[in-house]
Amino acid sequence: MSAPAVPATRPPAASTGILRAVATKVVTAIVVLFFVATAAFFLVRLSGDPVKLILPPDATAGQEATLRASLGLDRPLLTQYLDFLGGLPRLQLGTSLVYDQPVAEVLFSRVPATLELAGAALVIAVLLAIPAGTFAAVRRGRAGDSGVMTGVLIGQSTPAFWVGILLILLFAVQWQVLPASGYGGLDHLVLPAVTLAVYSVAVIARLLRSSLIDVLGSDFIRTARAKGLGTGGIVLAHGMRNAALPVITVVGLEVGSLLGGAILTEQVFSWPGLGRLTVEAIQNRDFPLVQAAVLFFAATFVVVNLLVDLSYTLLDPRVRVTS
Amino acid sequence: MAGPSHLSRRTALRLGGLALPALALPGALTACGTATGSQGRVLRVAQTADPKTLDPQRQGDLFSMNVLINLFDTLTTRDPDNRLAPGLALSWSAPDPLTWRFRLRPGVCFHNGEPCDAHAVAFSLNRLLDPATKSPIVELRYVRRAVAVDALTVDLQCSQPDPIIPAKVSLFGGVAVPPGYLKQVGSAGFAKHPVGTGPFTFEQFQRDHQLRMRANPRYWGGRPDYDELVFLPMPEPSSALASLQSDEVDIVAGLTPDAALQIQGYRGVEIRHYPGIRTSYLSLDTTQGPLRDVRVRQALNHAVDVPLLIKAVLDGKAREVPTMFPRESFGFDPSVAPYTRDLGLAKKLLADAGFPDGFDTTLTAQTTDANVAEAISGLLARAGVRARVELVDTGTYSSRLTSSNRGALGPIYLAASTGWTLDAESLVQSNVRHDRRQSRWHNAEADRLVDAEEQSLDPADRQRAFSGLQRLLKQEAPFVFLYQIDNIYAVDTKPRWQPGVVGVLAMAGARVSA
Repeated sequence: MSAPAVPATRPPAASTGILRAVATKVVTAIVVLFFVATAAFFLVRLSGDPVKLILPPDATAGQEATLRASLGLDRPLLTQYLDFLGGLPRLQLGTSLVYDQPVAEVLFSRVPATLELAGAALVIAVLLAIPAGTFAAVRRGRAGDSGVMTGVLIGQSTPAFWVGILLILLFAVQWQVLPASGYGGLDHLVLPAVTLAVYSVAVIARLLRSSLIDVLGSDFIRTARAKGLGTGGIVLAHGMRNAALPVITVVGLEVGSLLGGAILTEQVFSWPGLGRLTVEAIQNRDFPLVQAAVLFFAATFVVVNLLVDLSYTLLDPRVRVTS
Repeated sequence: MAGPSHLSRRTALRLGGLALPALALPGALTACGTATGSQGRVLRVAQTADPKTLDPQRQGDLFSMNVLINLFDTLTTRDPDNRLAPGLALSWSAPDPLTWRFRLRPGVCFHNGEPCDAHAVAFSLNRLLDPATKSPIVELRYVRRAVAVDALTVDLQCSQPDPIIPAKVSLFGGVAVPPGYLKQVGSAGFAKHPVGTGPFTFEQFQRDHQLRMRANPRYWGGRPDYDELVFLPMPEPSSALASLQSDEVDIVAGLTPDAALQIQGYRGVEIRHYPGIRTSYLSLDTTQGPLRDVRVRQALNHAVDVPLLIKAVLDGKAREVPTMFPRESFGFDPSVAPYTRDLGLAKKLLADAGFPDGFDTTLTAQTTDANVAEAISGLLARAGVRARVELVDTGTYSSRLTSSNRGALGPIYLAASTGWTLDAESLVQSNVRHDRRQSRWHNAEADRLVDAEEQSLDPADRQRAFSGLQRLLKQEAPFVFLYQIDNIYAVDTKPRWQPGVVGVLAMAGARVSA
């Protein structure tokens, strides 16, 4: 049976329960990150030798050996691995082989640009998806519903790459109202953020629609209707609150996919973010930088999942009781 | 095509963006966006990637060189006709076979006011040679050390004769860096804020966003024609071309022929292509299989119709080469003609060698050369040689190319060399003499000719050796000789600029209309 839409009074044991849950999650997260770090370390070393890429093909074997030694890549793999693990807790991620700068410095100089892009895309996605999903749910089965859902399906099945090129052609080349690429003011942000948002709009809107339809068909909504509440009031006061849970989950997951999707979008729009940095680092076999970037993405996922879990416990008393 | 109304709309939007700094979000990069700081005439150049580092002795890739050649000078340089010309050195000579002596240009200063004298140049070369520098520049492999003889004379002492040292120091092997400044800020500080003697001074670098430099008013070669030079990294050619069409960029460099085709027919934007020296060939493993037979190797050369390949796949933007030496290199012999393209002859040679029905083989190439590799496979198939194309990424390719197993890239692979020294030696130094890293050919006469051109200091002797080598290469065909590809740029109406054949983006000589 659905819970009533009345704020539950917090049981006294809840806060320690939450603390214990958080502690468990944090420990799990650290274990996950350890395995990710290990996998990243060994996989990236299987992929090839950075020295071969740094030196021209006509370098002599002696020149290669000298450079390899000076980069520390001639040491036993285990030594390199232990060094890497040892540096992690202190955020000492090594020196980029290619850029010759501390990895943390290179990485964190790019975080703002990617957060800016993914954040803007998330805001756009949520602002578009909530009205679209709500509208479709309320108009379920009617022309409005199928119109919105068709648009959403097209959005979900169109590659971001292509959307980006299309937007550039229209807004930058044809009408010249927005810059085609680059980084700077608000105007540079519009096209890449919209490109990145398209897929997420679709995912969130579809989920909100089905979740709302579920809720609107349940007993307590019928009761509310019987009390004489109008449709708008019912949807806003009762429907949304109860439909929010799965939507919050998926918005959380979208943060991850937005960060991942930023790789392509950053490439198309020459956006100086983490995605582009990671692609280049992989191409250059820049071991320390790839490891750190993979860890960063993994850590972001873990933290977002943790926050989603916590929001569950706060929003739905049932989750708290069972955990 | 960018009318005033368009520009004002754009400007209005941009100003709107600036008026809302709170919305533009924080971050180190945003604080200095593109909309601020520009003064005077600006030239904006887009290339695929950023420089890896701004330390000119710690890089060796094209993207870094394209940028750094505008901040730094080298001992020698190339004139518009690609001849070796004075740079920081006014003249050079070889007083003995193991010494090259350079007389420096007087009165040259680094951007911080430090003098660029013999002490600075010797310091620079010795820094390059020091293993602690971890330099990827390998050209000066025979130089033991540099010595300042007097205030304006520097000697390079070699471990064995190297006739093309003057050509090698026209590249970053011959770059001058400021000793005093380096001592003061260290290598890391230097790479953050480079100081050179070049036509532009460093202003600001935001990785993956932009690199700005200003005209050096005290440049010994004369102040550039415009005030600011900006490099923009744009990995995606279609968005770089869109930026050109919407007037955010003046030059898009490093285009492939098929990317260039995208922009044909747009007003105010044009494609320019200039002769280049990047020379492509197929390396054949002559040590095993059908390719051991010289008739088979000749058959492949007759079968690969290079003029057709250039026309069909490269949009005409390449030139056929007789062997593997680009026309502009010292040592090129115009009397050696390319192979005739003759399918009948190719089939006859294959039959004579015992392969009347051809044979199966593999053609390995980098993913970026997929179009060319597929086309070559098709041309070979017409003669009966069924070459399956195997594509590998650049990293894998380089690893296999330089591995100790010379067959690691398979019996046939597509390779390309950019002989930046403009000396034919660069094209054959690692793949012809039997004991070199990428060599898959044993020929005593070839070894002798390589030794002659590598160790003689007399240009006439070297030319004779190179001519003999080209005739031998054509006859024995240890490679399938292809083409030298053009350098392709898309430009708007602002810049007037012609690149040298080396294709590096030295922008000091560009003229910019307002």
